[in-house]
Amino acid sequence: MRKINKIFLFVIASVQLLGCDKPLEYFTVNDGEDVLTGKSKFVITATPVGTQGVADYLLLADDLENGKITTQGNGIEQDGSYRYYVTHKNRFFSLLYGQGNPGAVTTYRLDSLGKLVKVSDFKTETVQVFAPVQDDILLMKVPRSGNEFSQMYRVDARQYRVAGEEQINIVQLAGNGERAHFTWATQVGNKVFAPYMSIKGCCGDAFGTSYPDSTWVAVLSYPELKVEKVIRDNRTSYLGAYFNNGLVETESGEVYGFSPAAATNNTVVTTKNPSAIVRIERTTTTFDQNYFFNVQEASGGHHIAAWTYLGENKFILTMYAEPGSVSGSKRKFAVADVLNKTFRWVSGTPDDITSVTTINNYAPLDGIRGYIGITTASEGSYIYVFDANLGTAKKGLQVEGGTITAIHKLNY
Amino acid sequence: MQIKKILLYGYFCVCFFSSYAQQSSQGSISGLIKDKNGRLISGASIRLHAGVGTTSNQHGAYKINNLKVGKEFITVSALGYKKEEKTVLIQANDQAVVDFILEESVNQMDEVAVLGRTEQQEVNRQAYNVTALDASKLHNTTLDLSHALDRVSGVRVRENGGVGSSFNFSLNGFTGKQVKFFIDGVPMDNFGSSFQINNIPINLAERVEVYKGVVPVWLGSDALGGAVNIVTASNRQNYIDASYSFGSFNTHRSTVNLAYTSPSGFTFRLNAFQNYSDNDYKVTVTEADLYTQQVYQNIKVKRFHDNYHNETVIANVGVVDKKFADQLLLGITLGKNYAEIQTGARMESVFGAWHRRGNIVMPSLKYLKKNLFINGLDLRITGNINLGEEQNIDTAYRRYNWLQQVKEYPGAGSERERSMYKYKNNNGIVTANLSYNIDEKHAFNFNNVLSTFNRTGSDELFPENSKYDQPRKNIKNIMGLGYKYAANEKWNTSIFVKYFSQRNKYSQSYNPSGGWGDVAYLEQKSSFNKVGYGLATSYFVTPSFQLKASYEKSYRLPETDELFGDLINLEGNIDLKPEKSDNINFGVSYQTHINHTHHFSIDGNLLYRYATDFIRPRLNPNETKQVMGNLADVTNLGVDGEIRYSYKKIFTAGVNMTYQNLRNNTKFEDGYTMESPLYRDRIPNMPYLFGNADASLFFNNVGKKGNILSFGYNILYVHAYYLSWPSQGDALTKRDIPRQWNQDVNVMYTMNDGKYNIAFECKNIVDNRLYDNFSLQKPGRGFYLKLRYFLNNY
Repeated sequence: MRKINKIFLFVIASVQLLGCDKPLEYFTVNDGEDVLTGKSKFVITATPVGTQGVADYLLLADDLENGKITTQGNGIEQDGSYRYYVTHKNRFFSLLYGQGNPGAVTTYRLDSLGKLVKVSDFKTETVQVFAPVQDDILLMKVPRSGNEFSQMYRVDARQYRVAGEEQINIVQLAGNGERAHFTWATQVGNKVFAPYMSIKGCCGDAFGTSYPDSTWVAVLSYPELKVEKVIRDNRTSYLGAYFNNGLVETESGEVYGFSPAAATNNTVVTTKNPSAIVRIERTTTTFDQNYFFNVQEASGGHHIAAWTYLGENKFILTMYAEPGSVSGSKRKFAVADVLNKTFRWVSGTPDDITSVTTINNYAPLDGIRGYIGITTASEGSYIYVFDANLGTAKKGLQVEGGTITAIHKLNY
Repeated sequence: MQIKKILLYGYFCVCFFSSYAQQSSQGSISGLIKDKNGRLISGASIRLHAGVGTTSNQHGAYKINNLKVGKEFITVSALGYKKEEKTVLIQANDQAVVDFILEESVNQMDEVAVLGRTEQQEVNRQAYNVTALDASKLHNTTLDLSHALDRVSGVRVRENGGVGSSFNFSLNGFTGKQVKFFIDGVPMDNFGSSFQINNIPINLAERVEVYKGVVPVWLGSDALGGAVNIVTASNRQNYIDASYSFGSFNTHRSTVNLAYTSPSGFTFRLNAFQNYSDNDYKVTVTEADLYTQQVYQNIKVKRFHDNYHNETVIANVGVVDKKFADQLLLGITLGKNYAEIQTGARMESVFGAWHRRGNIVMPSLKYLKKNLFINGLDLRITGNINLGEEQNIDTAYRRYNWLQQVKEYPGAGSERERSMYKYKNNNGIVTANLSYNIDEKHAFNFNNVLSTFNRTGSDELFPENSKYDQPRKNIKNIMGLGYKYAANEKWNTSIFVKYFSQRNKYSQSYNPSGGWGDVAYLEQKSSFNKVGYGLATSYFVTPSFQLKASYEKSYRLPETDELFGDLINLEGNIDLKPEKSDNINFGVSYQTHINHTHHFSIDGNLLYRYATDFIRPRLNPNETKQVMGNLADVTNLGVDGEIRYSYKKIFTAGVNMTYQNLRNNTKFEDGYTMESPLYRDRIPNMPYLFGNADASLFFNNVGKKGNILSFGYNILYVHAYYLSWPSQGDALTKRDIPRQWNQDVNVMYTMNDGKYNIAFECKNIVDNRLYDNFSLQKPGRGFYLKLRYFLNNY
């Protein structure tokens, strides 16, 4: 009996010692002013195609035109699969889209050896808009139902923390009984131009609208983030799209807006206006009524899905593959010169496209080259190298293991 | 409306059967089965020449009703005893009392056999891959059902936090709704949040049966990967079991279970329980000051918005042992719960006002009639409908952090999604089971489960939304037919067929004129019919060495949320097909002893699952919502085993381990023609190696003769696992759930033959950090005291 007791106690004591946790590790911030050597690397993010437990991986590449990288046993794992990326002031920000919950942001930089190192972890909100503005990253949380306020945060891109926050009542801003849903935000001069769509935000059709034929751009002061004015037009539908930039400022200071003409009601496209490019006069902050580039007409009925600016007024337009359609994942590509209103289809892109990078493409802004990540059903993912002069695209870097979600460049 | 008709119909049936039964002139027989020393023998088999039979209950008593008048020849047998036979004369409207004294058989004189088999052991001896947990042994602990189930091999219950927190039950790799829960054979699908395994105390259950992969036909259900049946103490006639426990984190729990049955057959049963906890345990977080943005790393903070409480009463009145019914019970379940929500899916999301509440109002009916019309034909009918409501309340436009700082914003906002949405599922279930034991060799079982669903919901904050709410209705019916052939005492086989059908009605709203607020509906209907089947066979090499094998082709029909969406983040998909799986099990169990002092039992199972068309979420085309699709195929080759040892009545110990090799069998992802890079990779975020060990030491006659003092120890081990696909990414950067050790100890003191009980427990004694889901932390060390009063046969 006594022997059993002893054995019993001994076994328990030894198991208890074995079963203790190790202490937690502390993280030290690893930041400082950049000492640049003139070298750079590309950060390419990829998500394996799967249905559960999928995470994004950050991969590094020296060259976008050749070679192969893989997510197999390689890449820095990101927490959660809905992540969005932005680069500003030579820092790479990885934001978690937390389905309405507060979300984590992790910041990275390249160290002197060209290795990607974590600089900081901080917390913001789940946002739909994230854009570099001055020294900040402007984050906008745009509720599509319930809450009437869009929450805006200015994140200091080198302090890695929220520097200020403001709100806009989006129901009052829309002023038509619906909600103003910001599609994106773009710095223009010292202002922020934020195009929005009008949405019902309720009734089982949150993204539907009864106002499919109008265009709105809110002009916000910065850093106060007060609405100074709304620029309106009715030749197109809304500019940009959910999670999709619809405005760009060229080197000459012109502001162009892109409309996919995709406004719906009960999931049926109801706009009568074409998919087109419009221009905003900077001096008067009004739509230039003398400029209208009907891309839908020029392309034979196709709608714009997204664009990549190459510099010198040239764009790669990502077009919905079927005329008249604004759904599905297949795409065709075209080169457009917005100043001369020319449109030319690009050859060399694949037919069985399942995914294309949109706001996270890379272009060196030389007016010629653009890099877009394309995933196909049969061959997987490649970065395609576009040439605006030739009107062609060819396979560049192969990204094995997943869908490309972003292409960014950092210097070290 | 439909449900009322069915209930009414059922009621007429009952009236008809009962009037029929009253007309015939019949008698009955009852008695006790004892051994030579006067010890009562439970689980003894009593057979009449006519083929009718029963088994003795835990008090050694038996009763057989509705016997034809005349001479009857009775055979009584029990494992470890010699057969005993008697002839008795049955007289009309009279109860013959015949007791048996069994003699021990010489060749089976080991202690295990002499003790006889408990009902829990009987369940384990079925041909199915089943583990029965003897809940009555845990009645002095403060466990709820989910924590008790966590000790069964093959089972992992993962939780988000403390008492009442949401949980995810997994059985051999199947999770969520793929495993179905039953209480006394009635599906728990419609019970709502107020009556779930995370708030039902262990004292409500007599035992819990876990069927792995192959589900017997009398548990009618569309379970893909198994079923859990909670068996309440329904065979006790008169008892009171009351307990109260309190402990760390301001946790209070109490239960009262009582039953009274008068000699005339009137019966009253009451189960009431309550749980309350602040769940204000400490967690380790890295948090920034809401105003200065100063970051504090790895600080220990208290949870501050995690209060949970629930109160439930189940009352049944009725009659037992009448001619027209062996049991007829009318009951009602009333309950409510309140849960504050502290975090989102990650510790970074902190909430301070969002909460949920729910209630259950469920009338029910139970009817049981043995030997209906003919001997051996038993009928059981149950029905219930839950009229309870669930509500989600998020109206505070605030932001909280772990330092309990608050920022309040003006206007109509929320912490997550502004809501006071309240809904009712109006879920009704009617089950009918007809079993026919022709003789000792042949038995048939027919089972039907009909369930209805009609969700209605509204949000007082957005009254205009309700007219866009789509009618969401469905009817599900599961019919099963089983046949059991027991060739001899060594070999028996069951085969069964199940017929699943579901009808869904769904309306898509659209805007006919384009004008604001104009709405019309386009009605859509869908339906499925599927046939599942299976087989279970068992062979006893010796009475203590059993081999088992079973197979089922199983289906799970899509749930209503998956079909109709939830109006928030999930879009409906009316085209969903049922999930399906082929489940195969092999099992071995063996008991032995050394000199009647050292007893060993060994159980081992090998299983294989081949599941296709798993229902999983993906993004809808414009990436604004999720939509469910039949997307994934999974295989699982697993083993689990348990070894138990006991030394006299002084010491007992056991260990079980589970290994499951869950692999992604989706070769081509939806829309792709190239092989998936994740093909044959291990399924992430799923524990694959885990086990439990326990040891108890008993001191008899401490303080007073008959009093027992015991010390118990339990350890849980879960091997580390990755949250995302193991093959992907640099291993140094991958996020995982680290290996977990959780150790609990307890001291129990039982007085007056179990009438008074005191238990003291310490959970997570070394204060380890425990996680189940992503970064969500579970309670650290906690102390609990439980007082229990138990009176049987008052």
